[in-house]
Amino acid sequence: MNAIETHHLTRTFGERVAVDSLTLAIPEGTIFGFLGPNGAGKTTTVRMLASLIAPTSGSATVNGHEVGTDDEVIRQSVGILTETPGLYERLTALQNLVFFGQLYNLPAQRAAEQAERYLRLLDLWDRRADKVGSFSKGMRQKVAIARALLHEPKIVFLDEPTAGLDPEASRVVRDFIKSLKSEGRTIFLTTHNLPEADELCDLIAVFRTKLVRLDTPEKLRVGLFGRGAEVRVVGDAARWIETVKALPFVHNVTARESTLSIGLDDPDEQNPALIQALVYAGAQIRTVAPIAHSLEDVYLELVENGKSEGEQPAATQRSTPT
Amino acid sequence: MHKIMVILYKEWLEIRQQRMLIISMVLPPLIFALLPLVVVYGVAHTGSSGNLNLPRANNLSQLGHMSPAEVAQALVGMQLSVLFLLLPSIITSIVASYSVVGEKTSRTLEPLLATPTRTWELLVGKSLAALIPGVGVTWLSGLIFIIGMALLTSSQRVFFAIVSPGWLILFLVWSPLIGLISIAVMIAISSRVNDPRTAQQLSVWIIVPFFAVFFGQAAGIQVLGPVFTLIVAVILAALALLAVWVMTQIFQRETILTRWK
Repeated sequence: MNAIETHHLTRTFGERVAVDSLTLAIPEGTIFGFLGPNGAGKTTTVRMLASLIAPTSGSATVNGHEVGTDDEVIRQSVGILTETPGLYERLTALQNLVFFGQLYNLPAQRAAEQAERYLRLLDLWDRRADKVGSFSKGMRQKVAIARALLHEPKIVFLDEPTAGLDPEASRVVRDFIKSLKSEGRTIFLTTHNLPEADELCDLIAVFRTKLVRLDTPEKLRVGLFGRGAEVRVVGDAARWIETVKALPFVHNVTARESTLSIGLDDPDEQNPALIQALVYAGAQIRTVAPIAHSLEDVYLELVENGKSEGEQPAATQRSTPT
Repeated sequence: MHKIMVILYKEWLEIRQQRMLIISMVLPPLIFALLPLVVVYGVAHTGSSGNLNLPRANNLSQLGHMSPAEVAQALVGMQLSVLFLLLPSIITSIVASYSVVGEKTSRTLEPLLATPTRTWELLVGKSLAALIPGVGVTWLSGLIFIIGMALLTSSQRVFFAIVSPGWLILFLVWSPLIGLISIAVMIAISSRVNDPRTAQQLSVWIIVPFFAVFFGQAAGIQVLGPVFTLIVAVILAALALLAVWVMTQIFQRETILTRWK
């Protein structure tokens, strides 16, 4: 079952189109990365899905509830970490959490128990009685994450959860997000941290007012750049270009200094023949490694160069994590 | 009702932490309670009342049988008692400006609106958080004023001329209504501005009607009789309803989220 489905979801502000006909389906238990440049409409999308603002047209269901119709039920069933933590600085961490827990319809006692649970999980229990105003950015972010989870939502929207955090705190938050997935929750992650998205996400959507591409990180990479191998040889690699080109399964080959970059359909199957051909031709091979394209390469290709897999309708781009 | 209490409790927790806000809430009521007492005491003990030119006394039947000293005390007391009209407006505006615009500046409004809390629950909670201390402090300082007047006025006739039925209606009925109107106006203003000080500056206009009563009283045009004060109370109640309706119309979740920066 899909946790979130949208059909031609659109939001305009006056003449400006913030979100244009977004159609996607996010299966339950997925970590969904929603990537795009600033001003792409990510926050507007999250606000629509969290029933904070209404769509101009199109429809969306969240946890099986219709956005615009069952807004209060949706707000009860999702948790949201906004771009800024948005905590009451004069109140303690515990007071903040108990307050929000009660607004999420938890009885006071239960809200306090849940606050304790998450403050302990996020290693903040010892600071529960301190005012949030005295907290570091990372600590505030943790409190805000705890707030998003107090009522045990099935879907959690996380907007830049590790922005501005030091590497250690970022690691804690990332591990925590993984643990949420293991509990079967669906995570809608908005981030500019592409290695983080690569590490965490089952599905990635690149979005710029419209959906540019939606797929698993691996399929995005292969779809854009294909697969291949990097072969480091002794001496100038350019000498072996013709040898490699002569192989029928090679798509393309480039050489830079002592490295050959070779496009292949199936490196696991084709690498032995490739290496054999090079050795037979006299090449001395130092290393063979798969060509590694980062999610950043994919993102920049899609967003900055506007490259996509044709103009296929977003509905046909639906995918299930593998 | 539960969420209203939760919001109310949170607001009070926050108010308790703001020393300047508490000083702003406590200082004006103290001044408004003590200033009339000092002046009334002074009028009775400086002997200056005999030299006062008091043409208004002829228009005020309840002062007709008083000595010049009593008339002076009564007139000064009556005039200063109107100051209590200002308190609910001042205090509720201060609290409301912090509680509403404060949500903007601390960026807590989006997480707040993301909860399954209804707009009316939020508005009632916020309004009560400003109204209860505003009216409470007004009534408390008024009580000090009444007790002080009982002790310092030179006769019962003077006391009842100051603490008249009309003034009691003003004090007990107008105060919460004016407080409510102030809050509604403040929240409406807050929906359009980003700074508590701007909201407070704009809300200053709320006190304009006070001057009408104050100077009307000073000029002897209007005495705060029970009929007049009751009629005004009905008008204020209607205005309060209108102001609350306008507040709910202006305080739109979506507008606030997309326009507030």
